[in-house]
Amino acid sequence: MDSPTKILIIDDEEVVLDSCTLILEGEGYAMATATDGVLGLKQVEEFQPDLVFVDFKMPGMSGMDVIQRIHAYDPSIVSIVITGYATLSSAVEAMQKGAYDFVPKPFTPEEFRLVTRRGVEKRKLVLEAAALRREREVLRENFAAIVSHELKSPLAAIQQNLFLLAAELSAILTEDQKARLDRLKSRIDDLLKMIQTWLRAFTVDIQKIKEGFRPTSVPSVITKAIESVQPYARRKDIDIVTAIGAPLSPVFGDEGLLVEALVNVVGNAVKYSFAGSQVLVSARHQDGHVMISVSDSGVGISREELPYIFGDFYRGRAGRADEVGAGLGLAITRRILEAHGGTISAESTAGKGSTFVMTLPALRIDEETRPAPEASVQQTTQVGGAL
Amino acid sequence: MNHRAKLLIIDDDPDFVEGIKSILESAGYGVDAAYNPKDGFEALKAKPYDLLLLDIMMGRGAEGVMLARKLRKDPRLSQIPVLIITGIREQIAFLFPGEPIHPHLLPVDELVEKPVEPQFLLDRVEALLQAAEQRKTGTR
Repeated sequence: MDSPTKILIIDDEEVVLDSCTLILEGEGYAMATATDGVLGLKQVEEFQPDLVFVDFKMPGMSGMDVIQRIHAYDPSIVSIVITGYATLSSAVEAMQKGAYDFVPKPFTPEEFRLVTRRGVEKRKLVLEAAALRREREVLRENFAAIVSHELKSPLAAIQQNLFLLAAELSAILTEDQKARLDRLKSRIDDLLKMIQTWLRAFTVDIQKIKEGFRPTSVPSVITKAIESVQPYARRKDIDIVTAIGAPLSPVFGDEGLLVEALVNVVGNAVKYSFAGSQVLVSARHQDGHVMISVSDSGVGISREELPYIFGDFYRGRAGRADEVGAGLGLAITRRILEAHGGTISAESTAGKGSTFVMTLPALRIDEETRPAPEASVQQTTQVGGAL
Repeated sequence: MNHRAKLLIIDDDPDFVEGIKSILESAGYGVDAAYNPKDGFEALKAKPYDLLLLDIMMGRGAEGVMLARKLRKDPRLSQIPVLIITGIREQIAFLFPGEPIHPHLLPVDELVEKPVEPQFLLDRVEALLQAAEQRKTGTR
């Protein structure tokens, strides 16, 4: 911290304010004081302190309220309770509400300096952690920019030359060769589209995607996703079986993104399955949600790996060196589902197979004609959800 | 358009340039290429062109945008229609936060995405050339 650390003391007793200020004098801090909670909160906004001492027992607004409000205003501000001997138990309560530490009254100058130093250290750590989180966000955005330029440019150049070849050779090529050239063009097109989707999943403003949400049929999402994975499954001799329960309600979302999400999961199931086995995709209602589950009897995921599979750039180690990927699929799937107010979770036994369950809020029939209902935000069991 | 229009492509990807240059040449246009904004600007000053095909992401970033802005300030060069060919729509939006996805860098520009279908490219080029021609006769 380059500018001096700013410390605010809120206490109704002038003598406490004076002595605290005196104790910290010469330590290089910028100091401010307030004699009650209301004035203190005003100072929090104006002075922007790093550290706040709050007297627990004050007339007017209680210390507990002050701490709670400071925490709500900026959780990175470190607050410390000054408390009399009788209120030790409530000091503990204050710490549960967001206070970092407490100083019991009376205290010696040395004790007060020590608590201050600890608080300042804590503030430093909190700010550093926030800076790291921001850096990570920027990295993610830059990653998207790099992907878009470095990957899309060569593909565009290849595609452009395929267009050119097709035009230049149209009189010479046999029907067979033309069909092959068309196939090449469509494969490159798929790649370009995939990059597009990945970029969307990474950089898009979630509020923006939500504007494009419309009632979307789950069976149609499943059919499209399976169609996309089918050629790969056929090559690996894996059978994809579906079981869709009774008429399913639609969900509110973006069909393309939901298909992409499911393609990732079904594609993974196929990828980690043994030749000749089956992948089951089923869908049903449960508690106002549509649940889509994808089960395989493949290599499975070990208990140690399971918590990380929805993180960025994580790729299964489970002994299939021939299978490669960027390790982004499930992270993207998770983001897509979260943007839809849904969840994804996984269960697996190494060597026996895995089951991925996705949930999406079901759209009731009477909601279909109404505009954008708020997708319910869910905090259910998410494996490795926190980033 | 009967006269043989002269086009300049400024794009740092030689393969991509090759891909569109041949399409334009076989349609009868005279096509030159420059592989960076600096050479491109020199070429524009050295010889009159009827249309510029301009890439956005070159060199260290959106140097195509910088070049387009430079052209706009030049009384003679600002008359040349510009067709922007870019692979990166999102980044264009990112470069001009809050503005529509199609930034009006120059009064006559148009934007297409890479890769571009041959016929679509020829249609856009022809349309821009005709619009420029009409502007010329209109102002006389």
